[in-house]
Amino acid sequence: MRRREFLKVAATSATGAVLFAGCGRIGDGVPETEFKIAQPVHTPNDWVYGRDAWFATAAPPDQGGYGLIVRVFEGRAKKVDGNPDFPGIAGKSDARAQALVQELYHPDRIAGPQRAASRGSGQFQQISWDSALQEVAQVLRENGGDRAVLITGRPSSSQAAIINAFRQATGIRHAILEPDEFVVLRTAMQRLFGTSMLPYPDLGNAPFLLNFSADFLHGWIAPVALARAYGEFRQGRPGKRGLYYHVGPRLSATAANADRWFPITPGTEGLVALAIANVLLTEGSIPADTFRPYLTALGIDETRLTSEFTPERAAETSGLNAEQIREIAHALVEHQPAVVIAGTSAAAATNGFFNLVACFGLNLLLSNLNQPGGLLLNPDPPLAELRVPQDAVLSERQWAELFEQVRAGSISTVLVYRANPVYSLPPAVGATDALRAAQHVVSFSPFFDETTQLADFVLPDLAWLEQWGLQVPDPGPGYATVAIQQPVVQPFVDGRAFGDVLIQLAQQLGHALPWGSQEEATKALAVQLRRLSGGSVPGANDKEFLVHLQAQGGWWSEQLRGSATTPATRITSPRGPEFIGDTSQYPSVLLPYPSHTLGYGELAHLPWLQGLPEPISTNVWQTWLEVAPRTADELGLTTEDVVRLTTPQGTVELPVYVNPAAQPGVIAIPFGQGHTAYGRYAEGRGVNPLTVVAPQTDPDTGTLAWSATRCRIEKTGRRMRLARFEGNVPAFQLEEFPIVRVMAPSA
Amino acid sequence: MPRWGMVIDLDRCIGCEACVVACQAENNVPINTEDVYHQRRAIAWIRVERYWEGEYPNIKARYIPVPCMQCTNAPCEPVCPVYATYHTTEGINMQVYNRCIGTRYCAVNCHWHVRFFNFWEPKWPDSLKNQLNPDVTVRSRGVMEKCNFCVHRIVKAEQKAKVEKRALRTDEVTTACAQACPTNAIVFGDLDDPNSAVSKLLAQAEQEGRVYRLLEDLGTDPKVYYLKKIDVAAAAEPAATH
Ligand code: SF4
Repeated sequence: MRRREFLKVAATSATGAVLFAGCGRIGDGVPETEFKIAQPVHTPNDWVYGRDAWFATAAPPDQGGYGLIVRVFEGRAKKVDGNPDFPGIAGKSDARAQALVQELYHPDRIAGPQRAASRGSGQFQQISWDSALQEVAQVLRENGGDRAVLITGRPSSSQAAIINAFRQATGIRHAILEPDEFVVLRTAMQRLFGTSMLPYPDLGNAPFLLNFSADFLHGWIAPVALARAYGEFRQGRPGKRGLYYHVGPRLSATAANADRWFPITPGTEGLVALAIANVLLTEGSIPADTFRPYLTALGIDETRLTSEFTPERAAETSGLNAEQIREIAHALVEHQPAVVIAGTSAAAATNGFFNLVACFGLNLLLSNLNQPGGLLLNPDPPLAELRVPQDAVLSERQWAELFEQVRAGSISTVLVYRANPVYSLPPAVGATDALRAAQHVVSFSPFFDETTQLADFVLPDLAWLEQWGLQVPDPGPGYATVAIQQPVVQPFVDGRAFGDVLIQLAQQLGHALPWGSQEEATKALAVQLRRLSGGSVPGANDKEFLVHLQAQGGWWSEQLRGSATTPATRITSPRGPEFIGDTSQYPSVLLPYPSHTLGYGELAHLPWLQGLPEPISTNVWQTWLEVAPRTADELGLTTEDVVRLTTPQGTVELPVYVNPAAQPGVIAIPFGQGHTAYGRYAEGRGVNPLTVVAPQTDPDTGTLAWSATRCRIEKTGRRMRLARFEGNVPAFQLEEFPIVRVMAPSA
Repeated sequence: MPRWGMVIDLDRCIGCEACVVACQAENNVPINTEDVYHQRRAIAWIRVERYWEGEYPNIKARYIPVPCMQCTNAPCEPVCPVYATYHTTEGINMQVYNRCIGTRYCAVNCHWHVRFFNFWEPKWPDSLKNQLNPDVTVRSRGVMEKCNFCVHRIVKAEQKAKVEKRALRTDEVTTACAQACPTNAIVFGDLDDPNSAVSKLLAQAEQEGRVYRLLEDLGTDPKVYYLKKIDVAAAAEPAATH
């Protein structure tokens, strides 16, 4: 490489800003003089011998999109932590963020662009970027426009801007694949409060939290920000300790931290919420006129609320007793301003949308919206370009329709970026058949996941720590916040940022997008933030602004806050949950749950996360079934017995974990495993619960109700060893030496 | 001279294990594969134990992060025939890997089971080695290893202070687990500095009657302090359950 080219690369690519270093040339790479003297020939351009550099960047959107700092030593990313300056997280992180370096250096990363020997053969051969781009451009020339669809996971905010420009230039449709529970949650927020940005429960100031099923400390929407707030909620205010009640069907690791856990039948969260509203109304503890928007949203009036949704009626279906429901209602009134949240399995029932509206709606009764200690609504992203289009997020029903069009041939080209429909959608949706039937499939995944295996071309994206971008944390801390993502190292393989590839493809098709690269797009959008009010980043001109932005890791303005609207029309109606399968044949309810580290399986390729004990069972690297001790006794089962699980949808065989906290009649099973591809750490272990979940949807949103299937289990007589942390370190019960000491709040 | 210690507030801990991965990343702990778990040889310098209490539906899952207790009178130290485990002047119970001959007496003598033996040569695919922390040695087969309060971070901070000709500042250095812990359940610092976060926390919690140490009665004087979990259902002091 000639020196000039070398400097160009160094200046434009992987050398971002060194955080806290006070370096005058931040953003422009290492000063030129240093190159002349010290730069070795065969090392990465940002190699600095023996000295740590901390770069600010951002977490992926599905992890909360907050600010990170990464320790880089001799050109290699070593450690990921939270950015101490970033709002809401104050330097904290979680296991998922820590594991980002394993994505970067994963041994199974795709080394460069590939062409399939034949579709589905699993055989690929490496080709050059030039020919890959040419061939894919040719495909789009012949089968682009409305004959093509681009399927992505939730993009970062700047990627959304590029995708949008690409979509407008080429006419290609964009479809976003997100876990169903989040689709329901966003729809509920949109229709209940008029914003598709997620709300932030202000736990740090709240005396009381009522949570319906949301696994908010372990994977749900913004685990780091919420866990940090939870710490403050418990012990951050001298003399005051927040009280937390959890209503939900499973003692999740989140529920395990509650002061009281109220186990209920899956999907009855909304009915319990209505019964609580009933108590508040009939006892007159909250002014009656406050109820209007709540009742309007649910399409009922006061008389119906007081007559039909009594604690006694809710007790019949929910499994709680009326007294418990009254107790929760009283706690809400006694500890103002209380905050109420709901999610995870509550959203994944056949009445998921109703559940969320009924539960989140309680915040309206408590008049806590945008109040300290209440539910803070977040503003839309500060720039219109950074909005992730909500209408591109498809429900289960819409996915089925889309794949039908692919099968029928009206869509012939499928482009897939960081979404894995073959794995993440239930088989009944028909993603696999559709991709087989499609004329062209192009994947941009950095790994050979199940969907990528069915591609003709793979144009591998860079790892998260190698790219530029802007990320609006969702939920933010109640005010406008943008994190800047910058490459902390040089690309480790011959990949290209997805945004760059879209821009290059558009160019080949004769459309110039407004920016020449993902980096340019990021910077062009970022400097626009300078003109907004109250921003936290100083800068007399754009260049200076960018330097500070990169060093600080983000931009935020406490002046730009979310505002609340209340529903003026009916948006749903009260409904109990429905289950597929009749009780006589299928006595139990199957309750899948997202894994605290692997999520819905998207992080199953990272060995640290695979090897991290699930907090309740302490199991690792596998899929298991959780049964209650009573059920186990009845069937003569012990932990590690293999059982046959049958639902109306199918059968799988899995080892049992006898979970002392499991509800009799509920069989829980973690999401995350069951990959047939996706690298050496994910492949061939466990099962994907979606294969036995009936394709039942919530009529309000059309999303998959994955907690609406009944099941039965039978002993097979076989046993299988479950890798488990419990018992790894020998434990002795010593009466006089209690391990976890506990005391009462007042003591 | 500092005396390093740690306070773990069990009322804040949520059992998320961010501390566990942060420690693995910082200290080059080998990947705990499925096999290793089957052999009961997983290595975790800090682990989060889950204890059950009560019965459904009044059942509790309790979490407790367990790193090395850094005993002042450490029972693992005198039994080492080769002085591979010793006490630093700053109170850290240290392990010299290249002196260890793998007798495992120290593990036998540790009541908290926080010392781990390398039964195997640690293995990483070549590419993952790029992530290894150059400040920490990779331990080889046949030696014991354990939490040392991220001593390399402490040494670095002390060297930096020396170069800058100043004393180490209060709370200038922290461990990887404390840095990651999203709830701030883990706090690290100088127990002898009355202004440090740990000292202040301990003073406050002492008044509330929340401070205790694991197996304290054995008299080893651990430097990891726990703050009792608060439970609305618990009976008044001295309620102690496990
Ligand atoms: S990181 Fe903190 S909250 Fe999470 S398990 Fe460890 S000590 Fe507990």
